[in-house]
Amino acid sequence: MIESVEIYWNPLVWLIAFIVIAIVAYIIRAFGKKEHKKGEQAKPFLSGVEEPSKEAVHVRGGNVYWGFVEALKGYYGAMKKMHSGRVNDYVAWFVVIASILFVVLFALEAIL
Amino acid sequence: MNGELLFLTVLGGIFISLFGIFFGLLFKGIDRKIVARMQMRVGPPIRQPFLDVVKLMNKETVLPENAVPWMYHLAPIVCLVSSAILLLYIPIPGLEAIQLSMHGDVILVLYLFILSALAMVAGGFASASPFATVGAQREMVTMMSYEFPLAVVIIGIVWKLWNLSTPTTKNTAFFTLSFLSSKPILSHTYLLGFIGALILLFALIVVIPGEVAKIPFDVAEAETEIAHGLLVEYSGRNLALFYLADGVRMFAMASLVVALFFPYNISKYIALGNFAVVADFLFFLFKVFLVMLFSITLVRAGMARLRITQVVSVYWITITLIALIGLVLLIWDGDPKLDILNIPLPWTEV
Repeated sequence: MIESVEIYWNPLVWLIAFIVIAIVAYIIRAFGKKEHKKGEQAKPFLSGVEEPSKEAVHVRGGNVYWGFVEALKGYYGAMKKMHSGRVNDYVAWFVVIASILFVVLFALEAIL
Repeated sequence: MNGELLFLTVLGGIFISLFGIFFGLLFKGIDRKIVARMQMRVGPPIRQPFLDVVKLMNKETVLPENAVPWMYHLAPIVCLVSSAILLLYIPIPGLEAIQLSMHGDVILVLYLFILSALAMVAGGFASASPFATVGAQREMVTMMSYEFPLAVVIIGIVWKLWNLSTPTTKNTAFFTLSFLSSKPILSHTYLLGFIGALILLFALIVVIPGEVAKIPFDVAEAETEIAHGLLVEYSGRNLALFYLADGVRMFAMASLVVALFFPYNISKYIALGNFAVVADFLFFLFKVFLVMLFSITLVRAGMARLRITQVVSVYWITITLIALIGLVLLIWDGDPKLDILNIPLPWTEV
């Protein structure tokens, strides 16, 4: 076993190991065929369908997490409603949550 | 850094990458064979993944139009490296001398799993292809989903073992996997904590197929739907590297489960003399095989692919809640006020 040191990770050791394995990976890659034909086969594969314009298929930043937002839309819907933009609503939420927290904390202290 | 450590790091890096590639491909072959037999097919020979790599190496490496060349070519290398380097930090019996278990902890291991997934995402986006973009997007969402329950499992185990440590051992690097392996969680709990640990194990078993992009969580690749998704434009030697990385990642993930939950060595129970190291190593491979069998092979043979929204719901709601229940049981375990059962098990070591 390599000597024990009281650290959570050693970046220098990690970096050296990373470089060494990268060289191994590069050597493995170098065994592969380098040359290739250009033209038709370099076009993106889209099951034989003509590729639409880049603008039409571009995934915008807001849609990158579509699956996530769609799955949790109940939560996001409720959160959107809460964010009305009125300061009065935000202060009211602050007061309500703070009071609930105090009640919970006092109750926990009494129990424990 | 001394010369000996540098030498061991270089030696370990070379050996562990070849070791991970060999066993990754071997287990991939076994996995394919078992799935085929379960589906009443003869299936490919176990050496088929090795032949696949050779075949891919002889194919053209096409660079798609509009791709970002440097990122497109770099992604497979980063993916393979970050997968192989994992095995330097996960204790493997017989290889401790060249491993870096005391120089990196379980949090680093979690980040390395993220790094290899991110390399695939970067490669997918760099392909500039509609299918690859959708696949990369799905991979990111899947990654965001399984990281939370995975973190709950890891933190639960570490917290419990740290809590059991004496003040003198609390100063050691208890987040390292060699420390966690030296105190198996299943042997250090009362009944309540044992149930909690089993629940965490279940959560981790469900996380594995998501982490290695296998059915039912392989929405990022989804061959029949988006034609291999983020890898659709990859071919030749670049695809071969992703293929190798996939095998190594599977092996590393199963090894992590073994290190966290089943780090028992056979030599502790049977006197094997000079063969103890070999027997422990073979026993480790057997445990890795069992983990892969139950978390990947049987699951992918018996299930269909989930939709991306179902993947998020399963991980973020169901599995996270299950993992949190396991965490709470571990926290209550052995507590004079909260452990309502307070029953030590025959094998409990406290």
